[in-house]
Amino acid sequence: MADPSAAIAAALTMAGTGIATAWAEKVVGGATVGAMAENKGLFVNGLILMVIPETIILFGVLIAFLLLNHVA
Amino acid sequence: MHYVLRPERMVRAIIAGPRNKLPAVIESLHKMQVLHIVDHHGEDETFHIGKPLPQAGALSEYLVKLRSVASILGVETAPKGAESVKVEDLSGKVVSLELSITEEDAARKKAEALLGDIDRRIEELRPFAALGLPLERYRGYDTIAVFVGRAQKESIGLDTSLPKAEVFEAPGVLAVFVPKDLSDQAQSVVSGFGFTQLDIPAGEGSPKALLDTTVADREKWKGRLEEIQGRLDKLREKYAAFVVAAEEALEVEVEKAEAPLRIAVSDHSFVVDGWIPAAKAEGVVSAIRALGVHAEAGETGTAHSEQQPPTLLKNPKPAKPFEMLVQLYSTPSYHELDPTLFLLVAFPIFFGFMIGDAGYGALFFAFGMIALFKLPKDSDFRKLLLIIAVGGFWALVFGLFVFGEMFGMAFHLPALAPPDELSWAQFGLNFPIEEPLLHKSLDIGDMFYVSILFGALHLGTSYVIGFINEIRHSKKHAVAKVGWFLCLFGLFSLLTAILSWTRTGGWVWNVALSWFPRQIEPLGLSGVLHLGIGIPFASLLLIMGALLGFLETPIAPLEIGGQLANLLSYLRLAGIGIGKATIASTFNILILHGLVLDHDIPIAIVGLILLVFAHMLVFLLGAVSAAIQGVRLNYVESFTKFYKGNGTLFQPFGMRRTQEA
Repeated sequence: MADPSAAIAAALTMAGTGIATAWAEKVVGGATVGAMAENKGLFVNGLILMVIPETIILFGVLIAFLLLNHVA
Repeated sequence: MHYVLRPERMVRAIIAGPRNKLPAVIESLHKMQVLHIVDHHGEDETFHIGKPLPQAGALSEYLVKLRSVASILGVETAPKGAESVKVEDLSGKVVSLELSITEEDAARKKAEALLGDIDRRIEELRPFAALGLPLERYRGYDTIAVFVGRAQKESIGLDTSLPKAEVFEAPGVLAVFVPKDLSDQAQSVVSGFGFTQLDIPAGEGSPKALLDTTVADREKWKGRLEEIQGRLDKLREKYAAFVVAAEEALEVEVEKAEAPLRIAVSDHSFVVDGWIPAAKAEGVVSAIRALGVHAEAGETGTAHSEQQPPTLLKNPKPAKPFEMLVQLYSTPSYHELDPTLFLLVAFPIFFGFMIGDAGYGALFFAFGMIALFKLPKDSDFRKLLLIIAVGGFWALVFGLFVFGEMFGMAFHLPALAPPDELSWAQFGLNFPIEEPLLHKSLDIGDMFYVSILFGALHLGTSYVIGFINEIRHSKKHAVAKVGWFLCLFGLFSLLTAILSWTRTGGWVWNVALSWFPRQIEPLGLSGVLHLGIGIPFASLLLIMGALLGFLETPIAPLEIGGQLANLLSYLRLAGIGIGKATIASTFNILILHGLVLDHDIPIAIVGLILLVFAHMLVFLLGAVSAAIQGVRLNYVESFTKFYKGNGTLFQPFGMRRTQEA
């Protein structure tokens, strides 16, 4: 059963989680670069913390994928 | 317990003897390069920190001199065919070299300073030379004010606004002589021309003549400086090899001479304390005993002994580059399993799955092979490229046999493909496997399921390793790991049941997990959670295995959500795989349809160049994102389950550290 609002919901999910991820990474990334200026050894810790927020958009992808079943 | 996947076994070594034997022992240990010295901190009444050997002072002094020589000469790396030097004849050579070079250096500095002064003087004189008035004319008036300086604008109408003034002009330069009582008025007039005052140079007579002699001076000193520079260049050519070799030799000697600072020394005896790889202990002990000094080596206490032995990783050669990834996180402790081999399997498969393209995979592999033969052995960049090359190999395998794809283009079009999609078959390349196992953008459900499957295997293995690590320390924590493992399996079985409509998920659910009890739990949880499928009773029970986690942490039940998040986090494998392939195929379709196929040759050539750039972009972006995500899955999702690190790296006395960051 086609449901146009499901398509809009999927789009909103992707946009929302994308923005949320970007925002979180901006904060972490900025702090990491600052910390690295003082101590180069923090690179790995920074890298790990930096990619953690990506899980947010992954959940977005999952939800959007589930919603797509209602679109077509 | 000390064989597979563990760091090299270490034994504690004690060497004790009379003080007069210390230099010989140091010499011998330095040569063998197997003893990791445990520094003595001097907290003992009888045993203090030793004093450097007598020659240490002189040696360090030579080293300092040599380094200053090296910096003056600008010697950085050894030229080919570095000389061999004997420490005994170093001293005279270093002193005389330093003497002649500091002399030349002082002369050079003097010449440079003088040239600087001359340049300033020329700058000063130049505007006055243009005006032409003798220098003494600008000074010594009682009733006349002098304004001389640079003007940005032409001084039009100066004689009408300042009729009493006498004005001299040259391009960009202005000199105004006015009676003192008009000086305020003159000031405001000249400032209208963008006037900046100049200092009047010292000296008398024609500035032009002064300028000419100064310029001649400059030429003379420039010649001298070049002469000195030439002599220094000759010295560098002659001594560069010596300087590098001597610096290295001296560093070794200084390290030896200062070794007593790490050793416990009493009035008449010394004790060296350290770790030796067990396999080499016997040889070291007998070599030291031959010097007439007591030495012994043996196993100490249990895993809980106060001092942790240093870690020397032993891995087969192909796994060596991956040690870098482990070290980047933390050096493994002596008592835990070395995760290098685990990483060697997991990281490249993840990387390969994310890239999943025969063309890019072959390129990554080719770059790795170039690095293997062309780059210096201990460079980190080489290790990185080798790690990527293993990933490239898997990308090639996935690309050929699973996804049937090369440079973002399928070998054969799938039946459901959009009408403008291209395939290699259209260009005459007939790959033998007609039907790929998975199509990235058409089988999204399968991509998701395979990612989760990888995640379950990866995390499951992590818990198994965690169990092996913990069982020697704390049985309680080991049982908690079993609980987590059961919980993970419960979640995995549930996700498999939910995704059993996909081909891969269906196979796992109906074939690999055919023994799994399917009875649906009676509590109605499935309805509450809107899963669209009943939760098998067995899955629910397994998930409750997390309660065993109370043995490890008081917030164990919350961790069930964390585990689900960990498992779903592997969806990034599918996400990046699909995303990257879609970008590549979009470039192919846009550029090939728009510029190349059915177009004139010149346009087609432009299109092909554009296509190459587009693929370079996808290639680089793919490498960066796949590498970072692959590393992240190991560091964040997996290492947190079993890996503690915090070990000390095995650094034997005498081994030179050549690693750069």
